[in-house]
Amino acid sequence: MSFTDILRAEFKLEYNDMLRRKSVLFMLIMYPYLFTLFALFIGYAGGSPEVFVEKFGLNPVLYLITSSYILMSILASVDVLLWRPLYDSENGTLVYIISSPVNRLKYYMALPFPRYTELLLMGATSILPVYVYYYGLEGVLLSLLVITLIAVGCVLMVPFAIFVAGVCHRVGESWRIINIVRPIVMILMGVYYPRFYIPLIGYIIGSLIPSSFIVEIIQRTLLHLESNTHLLMAIAFTLFFLYLPAGAWSIKAWEVKKVKEGVKIS
Amino acid sequence: MSRAIEVEKITKTYRVKSRRGLFKSSVEFVEAVKGISFTADYGSIVCLLGPNGAGKTTTIKILATLLLPDSGSARVAGYDVVKEASKVRENIGLMLTVEKGFYGKLNGRENLEYFAALYGLPRDIALKRIDHLVKLLELDKLGADRKLYEEFSLGMKARLSLARALLKDAPILLLDEPTLGLDPPSARKIRELVREMAHRENKSILYTTHNMFEAEIVCDRILLINKGVIVAEGSPEELKDKIPKLKVINLVIKASGDPGKPLERFTFRKEIKQEENSVFNVKIYVPRPEDVLGEIVKTLVNSGHEVVNVRVEEPSLEDVFIYYSEGSI
Repeated sequence: MSFTDILRAEFKLEYNDMLRRKSVLFMLIMYPYLFTLFALFIGYAGGSPEVFVEKFGLNPVLYLITSSYILMSILASVDVLLWRPLYDSENGTLVYIISSPVNRLKYYMALPFPRYTELLLMGATSILPVYVYYYGLEGVLLSLLVITLIAVGCVLMVPFAIFVAGVCHRVGESWRIINIVRPIVMILMGVYYPRFYIPLIGYIIGSLIPSSFIVEIIQRTLLHLESNTHLLMAIAFTLFFLYLPAGAWSIKAWEVKKVKEGVKIS
Repeated sequence: MSRAIEVEKITKTYRVKSRRGLFKSSVEFVEAVKGISFTADYGSIVCLLGPNGAGKTTTIKILATLLLPDSGSARVAGYDVVKEASKVRENIGLMLTVEKGFYGKLNGRENLEYFAALYGLPRDIALKRIDHLVKLLELDKLGADRKLYEEFSLGMKARLSLARALLKDAPILLLDEPTLGLDPPSARKIRELVREMAHRENKSILYTTHNMFEAEIVCDRILLINKGVIVAEGSPEELKDKIPKLKVINLVIKASGDPGKPLERFTFRKEIKQEENSVFNVKIYVPRPEDVLGEIVKTLVNSGHEVVNVRVEEPSLEDVFIYYSEGSI
C-alpha cells in the first residue's frame, strides 16, 4: 500500500470536491482578504495604521494579509484532520475506512496535502499581488520565499495535527472541542500577533507546535529582524519527528475507543 | 482449509443512556447478542434472518472489526477479529447501509478508485477490476460510473456498494441487508450476483435480512436470530421440516361481517387479514386439514360468508420464523 496511491486518491477527492463546488473555490480565494479586512476594521477602530507601523515597522495590510494566508495554510492540517473523521462519520464512509487495511499513519498524513496545494496556489491570489503592489518586482521573490516557508510549515504541522485530532476525537461530542482547539492553536502559533511579543508562558506553550517556529521565521523576515533561522528550523524538524510516533499512537487510541463503542454505521 | 467464519459464544451488551428530564438520566443495558455460535464455509451463503433489533448488524459489525465483543471469540479467514483485526480487514468485503457511504462529489468510478487505494490495490489492477465490476453490476448501463454519487438512485447506490465489497476480491463477504428498500430489478440483480459469487467464485458470504422470501431463495443455510439468540438453523427445507407437521388452510372469504367470530370455536392458530373492503384472507394452522376443512367451510357459509377460494399449503419460512420466535404457530 503506497503513500502515493493514497495521496493520489485524496487529491482526486479534494480537487473534485472543490472544482465541482464553486462556492468552495470562491471562498478559498476570498478568505485571506476577508480576514485582512476584518482585522483592519478592528485595528482602525482602536487606533491608526501609523501606530501599527510605529510598533512593528511594517504596513498592517502587508502584515495581516500574510498572517491570514499563514493561518489558512498552516492551520489547514488541523482543520482537515479535526473535521474529516466527523465528516466521514456523517457521510457513512468512516466504517469503510476503519474496516480497510490502510496504514493509518500514511492515510492521516496524506489527508491535508491536497488542501495544502490548493492553499499554496492561493498565494498567487493573496500575498503575491499585495507584495507586488508594495515592493514591486522584489515582491515576487519575497512572496515566493514566504510561500516556500509556509509549505515547510504545512508539512511540519501534520503529525502535530494528527496527535491533536486523535486526542480530541477520543472525547465524546468532539466537534464542540474542535471549535475551541482551532483558535487556541492559532493564538499559540502567534499568527496575528508577532510570536516574539507573546508573553513568555505563551511562547513556551506555543513552542510545542512545530510550525510556530516557521511562523516566527516568516515574521522576522517580513519585519527585517535578526533571526536564527537554522536553529528555529532544527527545532521545528525535531518536533516534527517527535510527533510522528505520538500522532500514530493518538490516532490508534482513538480508533480503539471507537471500535470499543462500535463504529456508527450512520 | 479452515472455516471462513467461526463464531464461538460471542456476546455484546450496549450501554444505553436514557434522559429523564433536563438533568436526570439513567443507564440501561441492552443485550444485543447473547452468546451466539455459528460457522460458515467457503462457497456458501449463510443468512442471518431476523426482525429489526435481533442482533444481525451487531454480529456483522463484530466480524468486520467495527465493534469489540464483550466475550466469546470470532475468527474470519482464520484470523481473530480482536487480536488480528488488520488481517481480518484484508480478507473481507463489506456492504453495510445502502443509502450512504460514498463521496457525493465523486462519480461511481472515482469513488471505487478512492476505496481501491485504501484497500491497497495497485493502480493498474484496481482500474481493471473497476472496469470488470462496472460491467458486472451494469453500472455503465445505468450511467452510474459517470454520474455524481449525490445524484444516484437507491438502486445505483446499492450496486456501487456491492461493487466496493467486491473490489479487492476478498474471499469473505459480509453483506448487511443489501437489498433493503430496493426496487425489484435491482434487488434481483444483487441476489443473482451474491449467489454467483458464492457458488462460482467460492466465496463465503454472510448475508443478513429480515425478508423471508429473500432468505429462502438466496441462502444455503439460514440462522434464525431473535433477541440476540440463534433460535434455529439449517437449510430452508430443513427448517420447515423441523417444526411440527402442521399445514396451512388458506381461505379467501367474502365476508358479510367479522369472519373471526364463527371461527372462534376452532382452537387452532389463526391469522385473519383484511385484503379489500369485504375480502379477507384467513390462514388456519392444523395438523390434519382433511379432518376439519369441511367443517370450517360449512361454519363460514352458515354464518353468511362466501368462501371464494380454499388452498391447503405447506408452512412457509415465515411460519417457521414465527414458530421459533413465539414458540408455536
